[in-house]
Amino acid sequence: MSTPDLQPLYDAVLSGDAKTARAVTEQALSAGVEPLKLVQEYMVPAMGEVGRRFECNEYFVPELLLSARAMKAALELIRPLLAASGAQPAGRVVIGTVKGDLHDIGKNLVAAMLEGGGYEVIDLGVNVPPEKFVEVAQEKNANLVAMSALLTTTMPSMRTTIEAFKAAGVRNRVKIMIGGAPITQRYADEIGADGYAETAAGAVPLARKLAA
Amino acid sequence: MNTEELYQQRLRRYLTALRNERPDKIPIRPFVAEFTAKYAGFTCQQVAHDFNLAFEAAVRCARDFDWDAVVPNMVYVWTGLTQAAGLRYYGIPGIHVPHTTGFNYIEPPEEEAFMREDEYDALIADPTAFLYEVWLPRVSTEIVKPGQPATYRSHLALVKSAMAMMVYFNAFGPQIQRLRTECGTVSAIAGIFKAPFDILADKLRGYVGLTLDMARQPDTVLRACEALMPHLAHVGLTTADPAKQVPIGLWMHRGCVPFVNPAQFRSHYWPTLKPCIEEFWRHGHQTMFYAEGKWDAHLDDFATLPERSIIFHVDQGDIFLAHRKLHHKFALSGGIPNVLLSYGQPEEVRAYCKKVIDEVAREGGYILDAGAIMQDDTSIENLRALTDFAREYGVYSGAPTDGPLLRPCDGADVSELVGLSDRPAPRVRPGVCLPWEAKLKELPPLSGDVDLLRRVWENVDALGNTYIWQLLLSF
Ligand code: B12
Repeated sequence: MSTPDLQPLYDAVLSGDAKTARAVTEQALSAGVEPLKLVQEYMVPAMGEVGRRFECNEYFVPELLLSARAMKAALELIRPLLAASGAQPAGRVVIGTVKGDLHDIGKNLVAAMLEGGGYEVIDLGVNVPPEKFVEVAQEKNANLVAMSALLTTTMPSMRTTIEAFKAAGVRNRVKIMIGGAPITQRYADEIGADGYAETAAGAVPLARKLAA
Repeated sequence: MNTEELYQQRLRRYLTALRNERPDKIPIRPFVAEFTAKYAGFTCQQVAHDFNLAFEAAVRCARDFDWDAVVPNMVYVWTGLTQAAGLRYYGIPGIHVPHTTGFNYIEPPEEEAFMREDEYDALIADPTAFLYEVWLPRVSTEIVKPGQPATYRSHLALVKSAMAMMVYFNAFGPQIQRLRTECGTVSAIAGIFKAPFDILADKLRGYVGLTLDMARQPDTVLRACEALMPHLAHVGLTTADPAKQVPIGLWMHRGCVPFVNPAQFRSHYWPTLKPCIEEFWRHGHQTMFYAEGKWDAHLDDFATLPERSIIFHVDQGDIFLAHRKLHHKFALSGGIPNVLLSYGQPEEVRAYCKKVIDEVAREGGYILDAGAIMQDDTSIENLRALTDFAREYGVYSGAPTDGPLLRPCDGADVSELVGLSDRPAPRVRPGVCLPWEAKLKELPPLSGDVDLLRRVWENVDALGNTYIWQLLLSF
């Protein structure tokens, strides 16, 4: 059997065409293409390009959302196979919007970009209490924790969460990154987070740097 | 100086700045929400659930701080009303969210959006009817859908929430009067408006749903925005300041880059917003663009609006850029970061205010405020530092303190403006639920003062219209 042309997978993720992304993935898998190859050689580069375009104002949230959906449509088919093959993700991230805060548009974009960067992402949703971050990070043996806050009233929940990691004696097992509109590098330093990025696209290089 | 003299002095200061001119001092107009509770010694739950306490808290702030204008109640959503209507999209402090927070707007998950992707045609055909028939039963835990068996609780929810709305709105007059007579403080804005595109995202399709619609059925979305325009503009016009002094509040949420891409802004958001703003200006009403988040990418478009027709409020955007691009036409407000006011030191607040005043306020046309509404995280000490510094440093020389009091619209030539006047009238006129013409067909031949019969029918019918559009826009 000839190897199918996989460029359309890259293109479909880049253009946010979920139907094609799924169809090409299906074909490729039934033609025996390695699931990991699909992820590493096509999807990760496509999401990388999406991030690059977002950074330089060629793409905006709508394009990001659509690309993330296309990626997810393909990943749904690939993920079970990856798990069965025992392939390791680039890292494991626990992500959530902090306690008291219900804003999740930015957090979801960050989650999608990290997933597109080859990370396994465990999304705890919104209004996540500190204990929950600690509990799931331990349970899933995550090496990264990502927190988002959009309100000046909920920024302090980030500090409380970091303190909860310390109190549980597991602060050094994870790298903690934070973001959201009111957050600054200065605030990240002040509360003892390991990293901050201004945009969702910036989250992937940051994760790579932190977990290197 | 007595309180009325103080009021007159502040009103002149505020109006002069709204006119983009130089007053005697920089007007201070902080949009204080849950901050008022913290300052007045109430809880966030108290000010959200008992509007009289919210009014009291606002008065106490206005009395103690030298502010020129405030909003009579910036903790605007009275949760007593939202509970009566059974609105799903509010968290009530002490019931759905901790009692230590204010009211919380909660967006439904994508698949539970209050309007479905295939319902645009119904919305477009008669927006008011759609809101009553489809939207209201969906957003309410109590109100049943037409066609379903009527229930006692459904009737109750309608009657109670409508009467609660009346009680609440009627309380604003006396509150505004209290601010004037007890504090000498001006009520900063009057009336409410939102962009058609924003309303679709906020209350109907949800942001993600609308984003997908923009990819799949952009023309339908545009028609829906156009269908909403006259109705939303009607709300703006009928709630605006009859004296045409203070601006209509336009709360701008998600119509900017990066929420939309530049092409979508040009095709949908702006063409369905701009004519409404011009319509307001044609009627002598200025609009306050409360640009939440960052709107830096759109300043050139805003600059195409008629001179003085808006004041542009900066949240997280670049106020210095806004000044360069807009100052020749409009006054600006805001720009002091909330993070700074909550977590900075007083000297940092003073330094930032100095920088803004030096660069943006030199020639007048600037109103001092934070970027976003101030919740209970805002430091009292920092807000005091802001106020004291502005009063000390924000003084202009040579501004006239008497002479005729000019409003923003005075002297503006609006004769060329089209606004909404060239658009086809919608099937059901804005402000109307059940048209008199339709009702007339059910009635026996009329006698006596037929005009009286029509007028009273229409005035009372308009209340039904107010109820549903206010639920959509204000609550
Ligand atoms: C959408 C929105 C809502 C929606 C949220 C829906 C949802 N599912 O998210 C709803 C309507 C529910 C809402 C509610 C409220 N909101 Co709101 N909301 C907004 C709005 C309009 C946009 C926020 C947003 O989505 N930004 C877009 C995303 C893409 O940006 P972002 O989150 O910053 O993320 C980017 C980066 O920061 C980064 N990032 C984000 N997280 C992370 C994490 C990591 C680790 C990294 C590396 C990067 C990163 O990546 C993203 C992409 O580059 C803003 C105003 C505005 N236009 O910005 C107000 C705003 C944030 N809200 C505000 C307020 C006050 C509220 C309410 C309190 C109002 C009320 N009384 O009900 C409630 C609070 C509810 C709660 N408990 O959270 C204020 C906050 C003011 C302040 N003092 O902080 C704002 C600024 C509006 C204003 N000017 O007054 N809101």
